[in-house]
Amino acid sequence: MKVSNNQEDVLITYALGSCIGVAVYDPQVRVGGLLHFMLPDSNLDVDKAKANPAMFADTGIPLLFKSCYRFGAEKHRMVVKVAGGASILDDTNFFRIGQKNLTALRRIFWKNNILIDGEDTGMNHNRTLSLRIADGVVKVRGSNNFTRKL
Amino acid sequence: MIVDELLHSIQKIPAFPGTVQRVAEILSHADYSVSELVSVIEYDQSITANLLKMSNAAYFGSRHRVSTVQDAVMFLGQENIIRAVVASGVVSFYRSGRGYGVKGSDLWKHSVGVALMSQILSKKLYSRKDGELFTAALLHDVGKVVLGEYIDRSFEKIERLVKKEGYAFLTAEKEVFGIDHAELGGKIAERWNFPPKHVEVIACHHRPDQSARERIAPWVVYLADQVCLMMGVGGGSDGLAYWGLKEVVQMFKLRQRDIEECMIQLAQELALAEDIVNVFHG
Repeated sequence: MKVSNNQEDVLITYALGSCIGVAVYDPQVRVGGLLHFMLPDSNLDVDKAKANPAMFADTGIPLLFKSCYRFGAEKHRMVVKVAGGASILDDTNFFRIGQKNLTALRRIFWKNNILIDGEDTGMNHNRTLSLRIADGVVKVRGSNNFTRKL
Repeated sequence: MIVDELLHSIQKIPAFPGTVQRVAEILSHADYSVSELVSVIEYDQSITANLLKMSNAAYFGSRHRVSTVQDAVMFLGQENIIRAVVASGVVSFYRSGRGYGVKGSDLWKHSVGVALMSQILSKKLYSRKDGELFTAALLHDVGKVVLGEYIDRSFEKIERLVKKEGYAFLTAEKEVFGIDHAELGGKIAERWNFPPKHVEVIACHHRPDQSARERIAPWVVYLADQVCLMMGVGGGSDGLAYWGLKEVVQMFKLRQRDIEECMIQLAQELALAEDIVNVFHG
């Protein structure tokens, strides 16, 4: 996870397979943060979650927001964009960690009254997600190297 | 036919370094001479250079600083020295690789990830790390090294099959080229005179259900590969477009939780294995 108010910065996270990237940005104070989480639920391993809270949705997402607040961001102004959560082709549900990650994310956002302003999720390809601190532009690149603004 | 061209082009792949096989043979005996082992390794300059670059990886857990081949042999321990020598010998094949929309270094990182994961899984599933599996896992995608540039040239055609027709990437490869990267990898392993077990693991790493002889090993590498694809460890333009086979769940009596725990462990071990991943850059 990375949070910044340096206007020169572009935060970027690569190779989101079933992992999810969350980009948040407050346009007024021009503060942004980028989280790359891997698994939905920190109950899996509480010790690991303490050492590395960004690994899980339920510990990473609150940390992302709180870290932005420390730079003066406010929740009601935050623009939220997400990418990732891909899955392998599967009719068994067993490998659907991407979908579980998405469900966990939506549940956390729902509970906290957070709307998603843009997303590129699901399917079965890798993604790269970037956030430009100067203006909050979020871009997502798919594995066919096609880039689009979210 | 493209398939003939591909099969012809694997004839041009350099021979597998004999040093790796010699080292494996020496280490297969309970007693071996350190100086013999050192001289076998040092005879191969490329392997020696790679070995020295990665021997201090935290993954190998040596408590001493390794700066010579002698140190590596003394401090890494039997299990890890073979892993390090295999990786030293194999990385050069990936250096010539590109394609699948990524660089050879991504393909190498993915291969290291699958090799580490094969050890995590074998420890979890049958309580011992399986060094032999490490070699086959590290080479599971060697077919991509050859197929890569063909993939990039025909990507639109393949993408259409995957996105519009619902093909798995592997099936699309087979349709477009007459052979897929797993089968091609198996042919390369045969050319290198690999033991049948390794050939089968490589050839069947996406379809372990089609493995005729080996019951367990192809499934472990298959599972390791799927998890690395999900985690985005060195993933390419094929992404996650491969089939999940439900038999693997019954076979290993897996809970989803088990897989998630293995993912956490792999994330940690990859951080310790940075020197192994970076050896790619020489």
